[in-house]
Amino acid sequence: MTPPTRPLVEFHDVTVAYGRRPVVWNVDLVIDSPCLFGIIGPNGAGKSTLLKAALGLVPLVGGEVRFFGEPLGRVRSRVGYVPQRETVDWDFPVNVMDVVLMGTYGRLGWFRRPGDRERRLARECLDRVGLADVASRQIGRLSGGQQQRVFLARALAQQADVYFLDEPMAGVDVRSQERIFHVLDDLKAAGRLVVVVHHDLRTAAEWFDRVALVDRRVVAAGRTIDTLTPENLQRTYAGHVDVLDDLAQAIAARGRTP
Amino acid sequence: MTAAAGILAHNTVVVALGVAAVGFAAGVVGSLCVLRKRALAGDAAAHATLVGVAGAFLATGRRDLATLLAGALVAACAGLGMLVLVRRFTRTRDDAATALVIGVSFGLGITLVSGLPAWGYANSAGLEQFLLGHTAALTARDAWLLAAVAAVAVAAVAAILKEATLVAFDAAFAAATGWPVSGIDYAIVGLVALMVVAGLPAVGAVLVTALVVIPPVAARFWTDRVGTMVVLSGLIGLAAAAVGVAASAARPGLATGPLVVIAAAGAFAVSFLCAPHRGWIARRAEAARGLTVRRGDDEGEAGR
Repeated sequence: MTPPTRPLVEFHDVTVAYGRRPVVWNVDLVIDSPCLFGIIGPNGAGKSTLLKAALGLVPLVGGEVRFFGEPLGRVRSRVGYVPQRETVDWDFPVNVMDVVLMGTYGRLGWFRRPGDRERRLARECLDRVGLADVASRQIGRLSGGQQQRVFLARALAQQADVYFLDEPMAGVDVRSQERIFHVLDDLKAAGRLVVVVHHDLRTAAEWFDRVALVDRRVVAAGRTIDTLTPENLQRTYAGHVDVLDDLAQAIAARGRTP
Repeated sequence: MTAAAGILAHNTVVVALGVAAVGFAAGVVGSLCVLRKRALAGDAAAHATLVGVAGAFLATGRRDLATLLAGALVAACAGLGMLVLVRRFTRTRDDAATALVIGVSFGLGITLVSGLPAWGYANSAGLEQFLLGHTAALTARDAWLLAAVAAVAVAAVAAILKEATLVAFDAAFAAATGWPVSGIDYAIVGLVALMVVAGLPAVGAVLVTALVVIPPVAARFWTDRVGTMVVLSGLIGLAAAAVGVAASAARPGLATGPLVVIAAAGAFAVSFLCAPHRGWIARRAEAARGLTVRRGDDEGEAGR
């Protein structure tokens, strides 16, 4: 009965509200194959909210989100998450290794502590993001880019099939950005889906295979080259005059075909 | 006479050990509470306990420690429940809601405890000692009860340290990976309520939060690891409790609670000043050498 391949992620008529104020509505989105998928839109468009709703962090007012054809509760261990960096207290008394190990907690379950296997995995993940040499450093003594890579390493340690990243490039130096995208590319090559909330149009055209343009609803979605058209961008960013310059560059830069 | 003195001394020692165990457990539980930024909830629980002490006495007519503390625990949880309800249904902010619960429950508790003798409950004398703490009245049996509660609390923290640390550091990630964040929060705050109640006889309702909050804050200066911080915080709590009990035994006129808190504050002052790296002196010295702890900067890291 089940079709051979279920979509990796599907949003069906999703509406999210904070209190009585709707933030995003009527979102329909189906991602059926591994790729780098960008959720793009202006500030306050509800991109992060959409991602949090998919992960069950904010309740849906309507609609549903499915992963591999199942509700999230049944496949949580296959979904990795990189929250926004500013959401945690970086003065917290843990070191880099401790944070990456947190990615293994979901599989460990209650009361079991990480052992040699988990440490090996965490070390490997740190290596992939280029932070093996700061494993025992307190997390507050890292640059913004390094902190973001620690979060990415923690998500890698989840060993998931679908990854959600919330603004991973915000406040991150260029070198870390490239490193992060390199890791994300590797994930795609290994058959994983990577969904990234992103607001920088200039890099979006260059990095993502597919995008959804979001401004409180999905304005357009599909292959980057087909989607980042002047008309779609105008519709998404209507009223956001401040980004017109970025818009022009994004339109000029769109050219990379996956 | 020597035999009587011996028994008395024995009792004092057992009580001191029991209270020291409570100090240790309060420091251990307090670490989770402080890391999860729930210190104010502990204060609300503490100030609500007096109502429970008076209520337990009124309901049962008994004034043994187990009965009174059971009442205090119920009241502490009720106070926390009230906090949740005030926040949810009146949309009052966290700090204001906490102040409201503290004020209302403490006012009610003081009224009950101080009013009982006037209302004909002559044998209620002694309840007011739960205000500031008084260890002289404790028996060895009481001390064993306190030590048992302390042991349960420490065991519980040891069991859920991994989960509590995860939630305290990054609740969104914890929730996204399937952990019941509010359940773990309830466990943390419940343990805080338990230790606030266990600390009540020795430290009193007014100051007992300090026994939960000061040791972890002091311990944080010495270490960057949660595990070390928990143990160190426990040891600071233990030492503060022991010093306070000893000092009030030496000067019977003094309430124990303030002495315990002063001892803990001393530990905080020493930590704040003298701890390596995070201490004030160390930071000044580093600044003077021009070696301010700089956030590692990617470009600055050679060799990669």
